[in-house]
Order: sequence, then structure tokens, then C-alpha cells
Amino acid sequence: MKYAYFPGCSQGSTAQEYNRSLLAVAKRLEIMELVEIPDWNCCGATPAAAIVHPTLPHSLAARNLSIAREMGMDSVVAPCAACYKNLRKASIDLRQNEELRTQLRGTLSNRSLSQVPTVRHPLDVVVNDVGLDNIPVTKPLQGMKVACYYGCLLTRPAGGFDDIEYPTTMDRLMEALGAEAVDFPYKTKCCGGGIYMFHEKVSFSMSADVLAHAKAAGANVVAVGCPFCQLLLDLYQDKLGQVRDTTFNLPIIFFSQLMGLAMGLDRAELGLERLIVSPFRLLAETIDAPEGSLEKPAKPRASKLKKWGEA
Amino acid sequence: MFEYEAIRPRYETSPEVEAIVEAVSVCYQCGTCSGSCPVAPAGGMDYTPRTIMRMIQAGMEDEVLASTTVWTCAACYSCAVRCPRDIDITDVMIRLRNLALIRGTPARTGLARKGRIYNRDFMDIVRRFGRIYELELVLRYHLKTNPLNLVGMAPVGLKMFLKHKLRLLPEQAEGRKEIQGIFYRLEDEKK
Repeated sequence: MKYAYFPGCSQGSTAQEYNRSLLAVAKRLEIMELVEIPDWNCCGATPAAAIVHPTLPHSLAARNLSIAREMGMDSVVAPCAACYKNLRKASIDLRQNEELRTQLRGTLSNRSLSQVPTVRHPLDVVVNDVGLDNIPVTKPLQGMKVACYYGCLLTRPAGGFDDIEYPTTMDRLMEALGAEAVDFPYKTKCCGGGIYMFHEKVSFSMSADVLAHAKAAGANVVAVGCPFCQLLLDLYQDKLGQVRDTTFNLPIIFFSQLMGLAMGLDRAELGLERLIVSPFRLLAETIDAPEGSLEKPAKPRASKLKKWGEA
Repeated sequence: MFEYEAIRPRYETSPEVEAIVEAVSVCYQCGTCSGSCPVAPAGGMDYTPRTIMRMIQAGMEDEVLASTTVWTCAACYSCAVRCPRDIDITDVMIRLRNLALIRGTPARTGLARKGRIYNRDFMDIVRRFGRIYELELVLRYHLKTNPLNLVGMAPVGLKMFLKHKLRLLPEQAEGRKEIQGIFYRLEDEKK
């Protein structure tokens, strides 16, 4: 299936490894073809509505959605949680609200807003469109105890691809890749990424809580699907450790990089060397460890849980 | 489900405020929002979300608009998805930010002032390039608030540079003119 790809600003700077690994994974999966939206613009993140006009985020998103439609695409894939939330909200509102459509057509000087594409997160596409059985796992992530951290905007506001309080999509993906997904109660807590520029102390205390709980859950790696969560937990991990008087030493890896590892992709393609907390020691001790040197893997937990939406 | 008449503000006010008061009028002060909020217990707010809801109902417009809370809300939607009265509290906070700027209500605390600067600079850059340019955002923000912070930021900046996580030159959208047009039209509408 073809999807219009909306990389978002972070994919070109702080989260280049997310972009690269995701594209490499999609290429290998074949059935998930990502075509970049030409000349996309920033989604406006959180400041847009506050600073200029309450409908600015919708307008900025509508331009991207309209270009995707011109490409003939029915769905847009946005890997950044903030972009995903803004585009998804705009797509839903535009489809439901005739008045908003007319209003935005004026703001966008008559761009077509009929048949707006739906907006998806790559996690959703991988698990629900591609399917866990269709991921060619050649190098299972044995020994990895993954805390799946969704952060706030992957599942909120409600109506997305998984439960708002206890999503399991990423957990199931990790188990399919051969890792153990630990029971992580802080999986949808906010990392404070949106306010860390001007309120470092509070956002660090929020992020430190997330890492402390991941550690307490027995994780040796944290999987993420949002560039802000990754940046805050990874780049500032030494400072987060100081908040809690400890050293976390937890690699924060994008789920797409973990997929690439399990699928045996060329590691140079995955950008693992760009992570601040180096994952290489973990890799040597887990998936690269000689056979038989690891303890027996735990039984799958998340895959046994009821899937979201099932009665 | 019974029909109820939303509480109307008992005083003269603008349509924007009226819309917010109406949205919040159904709040029965259960405190789920404050209990769900990750920022309030970390000490990032001067009033908890529940207090803000009550202040809105009580018509304390100026106090709400000057508060730190509206700017330090991380917009994580924890409160909004749990509110038993279905109030989109996150949306209310963001509307309040917008209103505070339109009204020019002076910020009560340094934090609220910093929040305004950060948000403004962010959008200023998006307007110019069509995309965000992180380096300029960080430099501008610190130069305006406390330039000495830049010294402390240097090791982090170096770390990012070495890991190729720092974009040195802005990436610009071809359709900048079109994007700027969107900004202008919306600003005109507000006047």
C-alpha cells in the first residue's frame, strides 16, 4: 500500500535516525511504501493555536493534507507524535465540519479540501496494515527487556489507534520481534517535551519519573515513537539521573530502529551511532550474545492481552 | 440524559471568553484533571487545572489570563481524555493563551513571560521558513531571557553537533509565500 509520508521538522535534525530507519524498514517490508509529501510545512506544534489563531494548526495541516490528496493518497503517515496529533485532529475535523472546510478554503486561498486523507502513525500502519506476521524477523531481539514508551500524543486525544491509558500496539510489536515487553505503568505519561525550553526543572522531573519507572519495571531499553520523547530522555539522561541521584544508563531507541535490528537490516542504515546513550554494549549483551548464554525468554505478556476495541 | 442550561457569565464580556466560560460551565470540580496532570505535582503551575476551571466559572478573567498555568500546561491531554464532563481542558488552556496575548494581559510570573516568548519565537520562525529552525529558536530564546544560559547550553549543543542532531542551516519550504499568506489572513480575521 502507498502512503503519503509527512516527515516533520525533527526528522531532518534531532531525529534523523528515526527517519532513516523508518524508511529502511518500509523499503524492506515492501507492502508499506512511503512517498514524501513535496514541500510540506511545519504542523505548528503546540504554539500555533496560542500565538496566531485557534484555527492556525488546522490551516497548516490542511495545506499538507491537500497536497497529499493531490498526490492521490488516501492516508498520510506522520512519525512525529506532535505532527501526528495535529494532522489527525485537522483531518477528522475537516471531514466532519462543513463550516470549518469552507472557512479554511478561504484561509488557504481555495485549495481543495474535499476527501481529506486520514492520518496514521507508522506504529499503527506496521501493526494493523502490514501485520505482525508479515514482519520478516531474522535476528530476534533476545534478551531485550523493552519498556514501550508511547508518551502523550501517540494515543491522545482519544479516537486514535489504541487505548488512551494502556496501549499495547508497541508492546505486541516488540514481542513479535522477539523482545520482552515489560509491564510499564508510565507508558503514556508525558515527558514534558513541550515545556522543557522554558521550564527545564519541571520537564526534567517528569522525564526522570518515566525513566525511573522503566528501570523499576526491569527494562534494559526504552522504545519510543516520538522525536521529543527520544531527545529529552536520551540527550539529557545524565541530568535526569542527577534529579533522581542515579545513573539510568538506558538506551532510548526508536521502535523503527529496533525493527530494523530484528529484520537484520544493514546497521549503518539505522543510525544507531547517533544515539547519545550508546546502545552497542546492550546489543553485544543481548541480540549479539552467543547462543545459549542468555536466560530463557519470558512468556509473551502483551500479546495475550485483549486487543484494543475487542469486546 | 437530561438537558441543562449552561451557566452563562453574569457579566459583560467578549465572545471568546463567553465560549470558554460556556465550555467550562459543566465542570463539577471533581479534580480528575489536577490528579491526572503531570505538570502540577512537579511544581510547574501556580494554579492547578481544577482551580483554573473554578476561576473561569467565577469570572476571574484577568487572574486566569495572567497565570503561569496556561503557559506551563504541556498539552498532553491527560486531563481532557479523563474529564467526566468531556471538557477539552487542553483546548481551553490553549485558547486562554491566545486570549492573554490578544488582550495583552501582563504575565504574573517570569515563567508565564518566558512561555510567551518561547511560543512567539517558535511561530515567528515557522512563519518565515515554513518549518522550524531549532538553532535560531534556542539562541533567540536565551538571548531574550538569560544570555548566560547559553554558556551552560554549550556542552549540550556540542553533543548534538557531534551526533549530527543539530541543523546548522534552516530548511525552507518552497511554498513559504503561501504559508505566510495563511498567517496574514488569520491575523486579519482576528482584528
